[in-house]
Amino acid sequence: MLQAPEVNVAFLTESERELILEVLRRDEELRRAEEARVRKLKAELLDIRRKGAKRSSGNYSERSCGRCQAPLGRLLSNASQCQACNHHVCRNCRSVRPNGSWLCSVCSKEADLKKCTGDWFYDQRVNRYLNAPGHDIVRSSLRKRSPVKKRDTVGAMLLQSTDLNPSNRPTAPLPRPRLKDQVTLEKRSEPETLNPPEGPVKEQEQQQQRSDTESAEKGSVSSGQTGTESSHGTPVLPRNVAVTTEGGMTESSSPAGSWMSIPAEEVEPNSITSEPETVVNTPPSVVISEEDKLFKRSTRRAQKLVENSSSVVDLRGDGAEVPEVSMGDRSKSVPGLNVQLQEEEEDEDIDNLVEIHRMTAGGSIYSLRSKSTLGSMMSVYSEAGDYDIVDVKGDIVFSLGYDDRTQTLSVFIKECHDLAYGNTAKRRTNPYVKCYLLPDKSRQSKRKTAIKSNTISPTYNETLKYSISRTLLLTRSLQLSVWHHDRFGRNAFLGEVELPLDSTSLVSTHDECVPLRGKATSPSQSSAFAQYKGELVISLKYVDASETPVEATKGKEKKKKSKGAGGELHVLIKEAKNLTAMKAGGTSDSFVKGYLLPSKNKSTKRKTPVMKKTLNPHYDHTFIYQDLTLEQLSGMCLELTVWDREALSSNDFLGGVRLSSGPGVLADSTEDEVCLWKKMMQYPGSWAEGTLLLRSSMGKNK
Amino acid sequence: MAKADYRMGQRDGSDQNFDYMFKLLIIGNSSVGKTSFLFRYADDSFSNSFVSTVGIDFKVKTVYRHDKRIKLQIWDTAGQERYRTITTAYYRGAMGFILMYDITNEESFNAVQDWATQIKTYSWDNAQVILVGNKCDMDDERVVAPEKGKQLADQLGFEYYEASAKENINVRQVFERLVDIICVKMSERVDTDPAVVTGAKNTRLTDKPPQLPQNCAC
Repeated sequence: MLQAPEVNVAFLTESERELILEVLRRDEELRRAEEARVRKLKAELLDIRRKGAKRSSGNYSERSCGRCQAPLGRLLSNASQCQACNHHVCRNCRSVRPNGSWLCSVCSKEADLKKCTGDWFYDQRVNRYLNAPGHDIVRSSLRKRSPVKKRDTVGAMLLQSTDLNPSNRPTAPLPRPRLKDQVTLEKRSEPETLNPPEGPVKEQEQQQQRSDTESAEKGSVSSGQTGTESSHGTPVLPRNVAVTTEGGMTESSSPAGSWMSIPAEEVEPNSITSEPETVVNTPPSVVISEEDKLFKRSTRRAQKLVENSSSVVDLRGDGAEVPEVSMGDRSKSVPGLNVQLQEEEEDEDIDNLVEIHRMTAGGSIYSLRSKSTLGSMMSVYSEAGDYDIVDVKGDIVFSLGYDDRTQTLSVFIKECHDLAYGNTAKRRTNPYVKCYLLPDKSRQSKRKTAIKSNTISPTYNETLKYSISRTLLLTRSLQLSVWHHDRFGRNAFLGEVELPLDSTSLVSTHDECVPLRGKATSPSQSSAFAQYKGELVISLKYVDASETPVEATKGKEKKKKSKGAGGELHVLIKEAKNLTAMKAGGTSDSFVKGYLLPSKNKSTKRKTPVMKKTLNPHYDHTFIYQDLTLEQLSGMCLELTVWDREALSSNDFLGGVRLSSGPGVLADSTEDEVCLWKKMMQYPGSWAEGTLLLRSSMGKNK
Repeated sequence: MAKADYRMGQRDGSDQNFDYMFKLLIIGNSSVGKTSFLFRYADDSFSNSFVSTVGIDFKVKTVYRHDKRIKLQIWDTAGQERYRTITTAYYRGAMGFILMYDITNEESFNAVQDWATQIKTYSWDNAQVILVGNKCDMDDERVVAPEKGKQLADQLGFEYYEASAKENINVRQVFERLVDIICVKMSERVDTDPAVVTGAKNTRLTDKPPQLPQNCAC
């Protein structure tokens, strides 16, 4: 089988490999430090942004400064409009740029940040040659970890690939890999596919590369024994695009030529990918990567609700003000099923949480450390997101289209063939298709077709639409999943497909007929921290058994001294900062839920009260877990998740942390998380306080 | 910003104390002096012996330009063909390139065009390039006239220097110039176009294509 690392570095000698690996390791270090720095900077900006900016939701006087909200003079003479955000701001809130113009303080800060983080450069997702081999293949092989980390160097992947390569292990001890670096071998196929080292590569070879990638993917999909994530991967659609040479490039022998010209004749006239010469500069606006949602403004979301009702949600918004999904929306796509649907809704936002429990079945190499957690995750989330598992079969027929003028992605769901029976006993299937633009698994990104009653070959002919810029879209993967709707029982998963969106997939003029596959393990969660979800401030204390009686009286939980062989774990949930807004008006009604894994029952479940209408809630609530020894704790994992309370629907996941004594133990805890957990165990009787970054998904990365 | 950097410097190690981080890449035929050039700049050292670079290497140097501390991660690449898969992978994400030839080696000069194509192929937009004719201390063995270098640079739209890593001629200047033009590009991107700062906002609902050429300074 084409395992990337082998091919990739095969031509190197052992010593060469070592040398290169050493370099890559140094680079890795540097990159991590840089990532941390960038994350901090962005967090700071967010902080500033939240202070005082006018929101579209509020009623503000025209005559007040858009930043500090000080009243502006009658004449508006001392107020001018910031040319970036169009707020009228007072003199004090202006900042002169190097070129002599000025911006309001926040926009200015943002501009500075673009420089400091390098985003001014890295954000140009649009390469002159969009399909340059490295980029494209990296991207497609990276589809599981989208959004692609824009700063990631290929070297990082090289590094990991070689590192994962058993033959190399002895010579390449690596510092503890980070979550997001737990990428699969499959991903390694990228450098390998660059293989033909000669500068100009022939077209056929290019095609060959593609099919190599495919076969590599397929190979890994089918060979479950490789023990990597790739063995459970959702298949990518083969993209056998006929490579044509035309457009602006003359030399068909140049890699650039052949690659960039792939879409040339099919692409819509406006497409930024069609003509390299016209895209020498990135369109200034379309560049919005996941991480940069931070940079988006809160000032322009008025028409959203309207769009929403037609089941088109503007994904270009930053999610700071997610319009509430109206029942109208749902009833539109699924007439007459509002009530029943609510239970089905339950699975939506926790889909990604639930699906990881499948990993256990697959025998992943990581199951050693994650099995117990996963087991409990399953029960934890299945209380809400349970669904039946049936054999997956059949296929789905759909096509994609992108309108550059309206920036709309249309997913035309035509039909499915020969689906499995959702209710095997009654041999009934009421299938519907659900669509996400991964990695976004929130409600904003969800679209559904109508439910077809009692058929295994439903015809939908429905178009699901997304308003999303092309550049952003290229960071996404389309996931179509087919579900059996059961009015009275549980819904059943019938299969899914995942398609990384790139320029070639966006111009498909014909219908794609793709076989359905089983659940992917944990797609798109390669970096749970890729998205800034805010922070959680908590304090932990372990109270020795001897002191328990005293301390315990403070606890709200019922307390039994008789039990008390072990001590108690006190978890003070202090506050959260910069949570994602889920409700109209830019707020969330949040609460924190805690589980002490690996216990499989609900006895470890704790919840804080709901803090309404704030993104910086102070919970000041203590969870107490009793009868625990330090030894036990060292093998446990405290999982805290923050949720937005939705009265009529499923709660929205806002972020979470996972504390444990190390990544080897049970969970994929980060350094900070491990550090805090250990501190707690190290100093019984005293509070260990820490601020932890919330991860955007609780899926395992490994 | 400076304050923030200081704070983080303490947390993550002193080398976090900078404002911007640029990634640069040195490319060119084998033995034109890429590694020497980098060593001269980063360590101010020079050795006459030739050791072929294996794949890739990099050095980090922080410079102070225009009141900003700029951390440079400078990638040195192997000129040998056999490492090409590895080296080209690094074009992506590099903000600046030093494309080097040896003024005593005709072949290395003739290859410049190919290297330029490689840059175009693999690099990102806005990447800046400087053409450097190295070994200008060896004037008696010169086979590429400065004028030819200049002419080619003009033709390719690159800036041009002759330099010598051995005699430390123009080495620092090349890097500083490259940093400068990256800074200019950065300011262009960020300061002159508010839309860059604010994302899709301004052009969101308008028809972009007609506007593109105007925004496109490069």
